Amino acid sequence: MNIIVCIKQVPDPEGPQECFLIKPETMRVEPRGIPPVLSLFDENALEAALRIKDVYKDEVKITVVSIGKKISNAVLQKALAVGADELVKVEGETFDSACLDSFATATAIVASIRKLGAYDLILAGRQSADCNAGQVGIFLAGLLGIPAVTLARKVVVQGAHVVVERLLSSGYEKVRTLLPAVVIVSNEAGEMRYPTMIQRMEAKKKPVKTWDAQDIGFEGATLNRLVLRRFFAPEMRQGQCRLIDGETLAEAGRNLAQRLRRDGVI
Amino acid sequence: MNRDSAVLVFLELGSDNAVLPVSLECITAGRKLADALQGWLFGLIMGSSVGGAADHARHCGLDRLYTLDCPLLGVYHPETYCPAFLRACDETNPHFILMGDTLASADLAPRAAFALDTGLITDCVGFEADRSGVCFIKPVYSSNVMAAYTMKTKPYLVTIRSGTEDPAQRQHDKGAEVVALAVEIGESTLMVEVLERVLDEQEGPRLTSSSIIVSGGRGVGGPEGFAVLRELARVLNAAVGASRPPVDLGWVPPKAQVGQTGEKVGPSVYVAIGISGATQHLAGMSASRTIVAINKDPAANIFKVADYGVVGNQEQVVPAFTEVLKEILP
Repeated sequence: MNIIVCIKQVPDPEGPQECFLIKPETMRVEPRGIPPVLSLFDENALEAALRIKDVYKDEVKITVVSIGKKISNAVLQKALAVGADELVKVEGETFDSACLDSFATATAIVASIRKLGAYDLILAGRQSADCNAGQVGIFLAGLLGIPAVTLARKVVVQGAHVVVERLLSSGYEKVRTLLPAVVIVSNEAGEMRYPTMIQRMEAKKKPVKTWDAQDIGFEGATLNRLVLRRFFAPEMRQGQCRLIDGETLAEAGRNLAQRLRRDGVI
Repeated sequence: MNRDSAVLVFLELGSDNAVLPVSLECITAGRKLADALQGWLFGLIMGSSVGGAADHARHCGLDRLYTLDCPLLGVYHPETYCPAFLRACDETNPHFILMGDTLASADLAPRAAFALDTGLITDCVGFEADRSGVCFIKPVYSSNVMAAYTMKTKPYLVTIRSGTEDPAQRQHDKGAEVVALAVEIGESTLMVEVLERVLDEQEGPRLTSSSIIVSGGRGVGGPEGFAVLRELARVLNAAVGASRPPVDLGWVPPKAQVGQTGEKVGPSVYVAIGISGATQHLAGMSASRTIVAINKDPAANIFKVADYGVVGNQEQVVPAFTEVLKEILP
């Protein structure tokens, strides 16, 4: 069983605001002083793949596909260390995340998947931590002409089917579809496991392929449907915080209630 | 009116079969957009037994309301909803399609964009319309940067974050014309089969539809601390939310999480208790109308965005706060 997990390298989303430098002249956001990391939901997608591999062991081959301008071996090696079998890096200026919209990105990933050949299950995170668009997974399925199941909190392979627990606003539903399929994973699927020291060492020996736009026959940004006009800094919400106090903390709590009522807040 | 610049607003129904507040916000956004473009504003309701919702929505400032009423649309399934939705797009030929940024639209919007060969801008918090066109604004890089996008393709498909606009109010007017569309949907051809639905028996209001949210962070201290918050929420008829640490620590279920990787909310009042105010949390709640913070750390980031604050241990502040609210609230 071939599982492909799509993973994006992003600047650490937990970094403070001043680390996201906006360059208006090039329409880029340049991260400063924060390390690249695996996009969080993509880690959840890899964890979902690993849990399938936990069951089927060597019958499962997990290939991680990552597309971007420059992909750090050190960052993506983490995916190999936790248990992916192979890494495919698709790199180059063409793949700069600021230049490609979700449709163009999905087209590039599909070209890479086709070059890889066989696949049974494709897993992707529900949205990237940088562009936050939440579309690539469904576009992959559309381009490949296979079913997509979104918002997965659990993914199990049963024979020729994949059974997915899918989040609803008021619970979840269990759905089943034939493989091959794309499953789009949410954080409820579980955090990615930690690699052991031995796994980290062994990861360095695992196969890594590096392709460029030509290798996958990708035409680039002409596929875009969206046009980025500009990046700008958000207006920080400036709450003029009115601090409420009292002789005791309990009184401060009582005063807060009175004040909110008087100001018509509640 | 310009028939070529119609705005279609998808009005999602909640589990009570009423139009979601975020969809009513989309009507407000759609009205502004339609006025700027001098185009029509259409609404679309899909579901089963949608009469009540339609009767409300037709008085909320639409030029026309389309309905797709079919038992198979009673619950969301992509393979029934997407074709039905495309049928309505075909009928209305919109230039812009707006929907709330919800779990259902996270599934429906990309499918519709793919089928319509068009682009999609998700999670928008505003737009700018001028002679050169319309730009939609969305937070990127965990809300540390805003991006303005336009589109090469038509229709523009856009999802809008809760809290972006005021919900459209019911007006005392004769109401928009309602056009019932017919759609043929077969269940036999579904590729994705639903085996079971497990709905949780949640007490009280939900994050996405409640006008008040009481939310706790690491400072709440544990599951017992959340019991105190639940009592406050009960008095306020509020939903209970949380920042990421209480979810990661297992004090509350994952669906309570508010933030970049959780629910994005914009209630009229957000009470943040023991929440430090990490960027990832602020990304999910800064659209709230009024933010009330209770935190023992005077330097906590949450006070920078809050409108009202008490500096102090929530164990002492919250029970007294709740007691008084019990007395003064009707």
